Order: sequence, then structure tokens, then C-alpha cells
Amino acid sequence: MSDPQGYLALVLHTHLPFIRHPEHPEFLEERWLFEAITETYLPLLERFERLCNDRVPFRITMSFTPTLLAMLADPLLQARYVRHLDALIELSAKEIERTRWQPPFHRLALFYHHRFLTARQLYVDTYRRNLIHPFRQLVERGVLEPIASSATHGYLPLMETKPIAVRAQMRIGAQAFEHAFGMPPRGFWLPECGYQPGHDAFLKELGVRYFLIDAHGIVFGSPRPKYGVYAPAICPSGVAAFGRDLESSKSVWSAEEGYPGDYDYREFYRDIGFDLDYDYVRPYLNGDGARLNTGIKYYRITGQTNEKQPYDPDRALEKAAQHAGNFMFNREKQVQHVRSVMDRAPIIVSPYDSELYGHWWFEGPDWLEYLIRKAHYDQQTFRLITPGDYLEMFPTNQVLEPSMSSWGNGGYSDVWLNGSNDWIYRHLHKMADRMTEVATSHRQADALRTRALNQMARELLLAQSSDWAFILKTQSHTAYAYRRIHDHLARFNHLYESVRHGAIDETRLAELEAKDNLFPFLDYRVYAASP
Amino acid sequence: MRRRPASATRTRRPASREPKPAISATGATPATRTPPSVSPPPAHSVHSHPAAASHPVAPEEKFSIPTGYGDDLIALMVKDPFWLYAYWEIQPATERAARSHLLPSEIPGLQSILRVYDVTGIHYPGQPAHRFFDIGLSGLATNWYIQTDAPGRSFIVEIGLLTKGGKFLLLARSNRVTAPRWGPSDVIDEAWMTTDDAYWKLFGMPPGIGGSSPSAWGRLIAQQLSSAGGSSVGFLGPSKPAAVRGFWCRVNTDLIIHGATEPKATVVVQGQPVVVRKDGTFSLRVALPEGTQTIAIDVTSSNGQHTRTITPIVNLTWSGNLASDPSKTKSSAPSPSRPSGPEHA
Repeated sequence: MSDPQGYLALVLHTHLPFIRHPEHPEFLEERWLFEAITETYLPLLERFERLCNDRVPFRITMSFTPTLLAMLADPLLQARYVRHLDALIELSAKEIERTRWQPPFHRLALFYHHRFLTARQLYVDTYRRNLIHPFRQLVERGVLEPIASSATHGYLPLMETKPIAVRAQMRIGAQAFEHAFGMPPRGFWLPECGYQPGHDAFLKELGVRYFLIDAHGIVFGSPRPKYGVYAPAICPSGVAAFGRDLESSKSVWSAEEGYPGDYDYREFYRDIGFDLDYDYVRPYLNGDGARLNTGIKYYRITGQTNEKQPYDPDRALEKAAQHAGNFMFNREKQVQHVRSVMDRAPIIVSPYDSELYGHWWFEGPDWLEYLIRKAHYDQQTFRLITPGDYLEMFPTNQVLEPSMSSWGNGGYSDVWLNGSNDWIYRHLHKMADRMTEVATSHRQADALRTRALNQMARELLLAQSSDWAFILKTQSHTAYAYRRIHDHLARFNHLYESVRHGAIDETRLAELEAKDNLFPFLDYRVYAASP
Repeated sequence: MRRRPASATRTRRPASREPKPAISATGATPATRTPPSVSPPPAHSVHSHPAAASHPVAPEEKFSIPTGYGDDLIALMVKDPFWLYAYWEIQPATERAARSHLLPSEIPGLQSILRVYDVTGIHYPGQPAHRFFDIGLSGLATNWYIQTDAPGRSFIVEIGLLTKGGKFLLLARSNRVTAPRWGPSDVIDEAWMTTDDAYWKLFGMPPGIGGSSPSAWGRLIAQQLSSAGGSSVGFLGPSKPAAVRGFWCRVNTDLIIHGATEPKATVVVQGQPVVVRKDGTFSLRVALPEGTQTIAIDVTSSNGQHTRTITPIVNLTWSGNLASDPSKTKSSAPSPSRPSGPEHA
């Protein structure tokens, strides 16, 4: 293949908040991880491996948040996932029997049963329950560029006044990445693409070469960017910022115009957990017995009304292939247009949440595989690339300061700062101050105090997850988000008083360490003020 | 959410993974039915289990969100190019101390205010601010959204007391923030020069759409931002497009075939084996389509010497408007030889 006219960087941001409740035998929100494994992570791994085995060359970038990495490696959650999968295998087997006189549904029951059995085999036998291994293998096979993110997905622009806390989020995030992938991160995903001018300097300290930012962060940067988002900008610190391309994002993200809303695709909101007789599905619900999504969904989107037709996987796959072709064609045209204005090959950066693929857009992983295949075989205009590779190819770029921005609704901090969640910041900021206070006054600490101080840092980090503020805003699962902020705040303050008064309850500390058990490598001194 | 009272704790009943033997085809469900277009079920996710008591379980955190920290401070944050947000905490003693500097005549009409200073490019308070404006506070407010409508400008906010005569007593001063720019920068780097038209073309705009007028940019970006955008928890996904709602209902029929025989007997329904439980009972639940189903049930004793065939014939007829629900369309039972059932999966 001759030199392409441009490059496409697909970036999948892979994140779940840390949700692990050993104190309860089963817990509704733990299912987020389980569903993401079955519907997104395993399907993506399967397809990427198939592409490797078929010797289709490609490059893809994925960020992994430290909270997700911690959960993927956690034995308790691993065991609970297998239990969850076993229940689905049992339920889908019953569905095969129940639907024997309804061929369209019977076929789907067989389809799901097979999927769950395959998932179990992959997860237990092939990947030995730890999905970090197969992702590492994809790195070794040269197709995946993994990038880091901040420790608990804290939204950094709203920590502007607490630079030590920002730096700690980034530093611990990079450490977690290195633990999982055995190398320092080349790239960094700022949670919610939340960029505050100056934060890039902290990334520089960590040796990070680039991060992702929303389009207007670059377009409104100063001086004015010559190439817009089609080339990276070099921040004053020397770290590169790659801007999100809105056109390609929209075709996947948008509920109205995007591919995932196609009538042939699977309907997310019709699930047998809600559709079938209560007593029949009851054994597969959680302890409180509220109906929930099981993941077994029999209908296609069909149209705008509640009348739904049975899902037809073949027809949906056909549509995914068409949409992949359409996306490829549009990128070819886009690259040709942009190349005609630029004096070098542009890069189009298309970041998405990984969980969009498979969990929300059931056919998304197939679409991705088709796109990657087609991009290799059916066109020569652009080539898939990672931002890191592009930087090596084009090391000279314009220096500018990007503008504060995020990829949330409105483009700034509105999603994480509004009447539903603004009350949390006075507490989060105070916690950051207190953490710095005790870390600075305890540069040397005995073993027990060190443990307490490290646990304080964990509670602070967990409270800072942007997920809680987001959930408070969206009005679903709000009680849970409230409880999480509350609990981490209460645990933190308890430890703060204990450390200050030199009266640490070791039993209580051990309980907290067992509950909020992420980041075993953490060193609280990252919060100490510079002397 | 307060600490959950113990009485609200629900226990999971011993889970039977078998379908209930008795069933009515149209029985009302005991759980609240969530219409499909409503957001996910509320987060009553916390529940305990009798078995959990045997594990070391930390007590639930005592409810404790502090109402204050005993500080005198005001903090300023950026919400977007046009709005800031301030929260504060001022101790009564601090306010009293400030008041003590006033003459008795200055006390009436004393007002708590926020004073918002435009300090762009200025070291305030060493240098005077470009301008300021005041916001009168009600006694109970502890935070405020401040409309500045000044993208790209820097601000500091002070909280204090204002006398009728215009004397301002400072209680606390905020950090400095800069609102983001709203539109492209006017600063051009000579080494990376471009023409306006080329710049617009890069974004697929016709030349001369409005030069670098911020309002044109504002419209363009606002349009882009409203339709794009990620979500914080990707897993929770994009917001659901509103379905065309209206009255709706669904009716489905399931048939339960159940019986008992000797524990090691073989039961075959329409050619498909059915699990016989240790106590010899068996059951099978099948979605029942309209029409006539002839259900041959062959039971064979464990030694193979006794066989009995029982064949219920079930006829389901629907009346009423069934709309287009495909489960009500006529479909006959597959022939017994058609592969179906878990063993073929």
C-alpha cells in the first residue's frame, strides 16, 4: 500500500467505576461489570483476536481506567462473574425449551445460550478469569496501544484549586497502568476529556506523550490552530493534544442520526427480565426482587413505537456491514477533503466509550470488525493508526495552549457541576486539603499509620470519581451514587481523625482495606506538599 | 439517603431455580412493572442476606456529611464560558468581628454580598480590578451560580458585608479562575499561518461564513456540542430517545406441562428429553402459540420395560385486537425431529 492520504485513529475509552461490595452476597451495580464483560470486553477481544489470526493489520487505541483494571483483576468479582454467567446459561437453557413453538424466539434463545457458553469458555478456560492478560497479548501482537487514565476517573477541571489532588489522580493512574501493562503509558485519557490548561504539565512529569481532548479544546486554543483537530497540538509543557473529530463521532454517538438507532439493530429496552412472567424470572433477579435487564433481548428496534418485531441477527449483521462501509466511505471523503487543505496527511481521531460497543449497540463490535477489515481490503485513502504512532511520524507540530473543555453535554463542566451535584465539591476539596495536611505532617509514619494514610488516599480517590456526580445528574441509581460519596467521605473523615489523634482502630482499618481494596501499591506521600 | 433502617432490609428468599409449578397464563406479577421506556429501575440495590451475617461485615457508615468545617473561605469554579460557581463557609464569629468595625449607624441595611471582580491580566488585590459587580445574598445561601457572560476573562470573588453608605467589609476572597474562550483565538502564530477561508474550509464550511465572528463560532460549536458528547459512565449509555408513547399492553400465554413418575424414568416431550428431578417430578414451560398443539409425552421406566404415552391436545384461540405482536401469529409446533433444545445448542 502506498502512503495513504490520511489516518484514522479509533480510540475506545474503557471505564467502569469501582463497584465491589464484599459485604453483600450480590449487588445490583456489580452487574455493570458483568454485563460489560459479556457484552463488550469479550466480544471485542474475540474480534480483535480473529483479525490478528486472519492477518488483517490494524491499530487501535484503548484507554483502561485503573478502577476497571482493579476490578478485572479482583478474585471476588471474578468468581461472582462466573456465578452470574452460570445463572444466564441456566436461564437461556430454559428459554430454549420455553420457546420451542416460537421459531423466531427459539432461534434467539439458542443464540444467547451459545453466546453465554462461549463467554464462559473464553473467560474461564482461555483467559483464566483475568481479561488484562488477553489485552496485554494484543499489545504484544502489535495491534493495541493501551493508554492510561486518572486513578478513579476524577473530573480534573473541577479540582483546579487542588493541583496536588490532580497530580495524584494522574500519578496513581499511571502507576496502575504500569502494574497492568508492564510499561509506562505513552498516552493518557483525561476523564470526560476534561482539560484544564496547565494540567498537561503533570502528564509531562509522568513521561506521557499525548492525551485526548474534545474538538473545541483545540479549535479554541491559542494561538489559532492551523490544522484544527486534524493534527495534534503541542501544549506549552511539550505534551501533545489530539482533538476529537465531531463528524465521525456523531455517526456513532448520536441517538437520532447515528447507526445504533437503525431499526434492524437489537432493541436494548426489551429484555426478558421485564417481559416474562415474574415467577419464572425471579430466580435470576437480585435479592430485592426488582426486575432488571438479564441481557436476553429478543426484539429489534423496529420503529418508534412499542410494537417490536423479533430480532434477526443475520439481518442485523448485514446492516452492520453496510454501516461499516458507509463509515469508511465518509472517512475517505473526509480525508480527501482535509488533505486538500493541509500540506500533510491529517489524522482523524474518533474516540468512543468502549461500552457503547456491544452493551448499548449490540452489533457495535461486529461493525468495528467489518470496518477494520474493509479499511484494509477495500480502500487506500486512509490507514488506521494510533495517536502515538502519528506523533512518531510527524514529530513537528504547532505549539498552542488548548482551551478548557470536556466532552460532556454542553462541552464544559455543566454535567458535573449543577444543582443536582454541586454540593459535593466543598467536601471533595476539603478532603484533598486534609489529605495534603496529614501527608505533609506525616512524611515518616509507622506501619499502622502508613496503612491508615494510604487508605485515606483510597477513600479520597474513590469519592472523586466523576461517575457519582454524573449519576446524580442523570436521576437513575442516584441513591447509590449518594451513598458512595457519603461512605467514602465518612470513611475518610474517620481515618483523618484517627491519624490526627494517633488512635487508629486496626480492626476498622482492616475492614476498610478489605472493602476498598484497590491500588495496593499506593503511597500517600504523593499528596505531601513540596517542602 | 440516610442510613437504611434495619426494617427495610430485605432478605433473599431461598432461591429455587425451578419454575414455579403452578402458573396462570395471565397472572399479575407481584413486582412493579416498569414500562420499557422508563429509566432503569431505582437503585434499591442494597440488600443483605442471612448468610452475610457470618462474614465480617463493617457497620454501615454512620450518616455524617458535615454541614461545615469551621472555615472562612469562598471557592470559585468554572461551569462554562458564561457561568461561574462559588461556594463558601463563613463563621458567625468572623462576621461578628467584621461588624464590630462598623459604627452603630452603619448597621441598619447591612447586606451580605458577593463582589465579582474582573481581574483579567491583573494581580488583584495588588492592582485594581477592571470592573466589579455585586450580588446580594439571602441569609441562608452558601453557594451561588454567577453569570459573567465574559468568556476568556479572569475573575476573583469576594464575600463580605456592604453598608448602605457603600462601605465593603471583606470576609473572604476566592481563588482566581479564568473562563474558557468561546470562539477561536485572535492570536496567530506566524510559523503556522493560515488564511481564514482555508481555516473554515477545514471544518467543511463555505468560505467567508462569518470570518472569525464569535457568534458564528458559537452557533457552530453549540450545534456540534448539543448533538455530540460522550457520557460519564459509558456503561449507562446515551440517553434513550423518547419513544412514541400511548396506551399499550401485552398478553402472552405460557403452557406448563408437569407431572411425576418414578425417579429414574425417562420423560420425552415431542421427542425432546425433559429433566426428571430426584423426586420423580418433571415440568416444562413452553410459550403457547395460537392453534392446536399435539403434545406427545412418552414416559419410559428406568429398566425400559414399561412405556406410557400421554398426549394432551391444547387448542388456543385468541380473540380481540392482537396488533402485530409476532408471538400471536400462527405458527405450528415444530415437528419432533426438528433440532431444538439445549442438547443441540
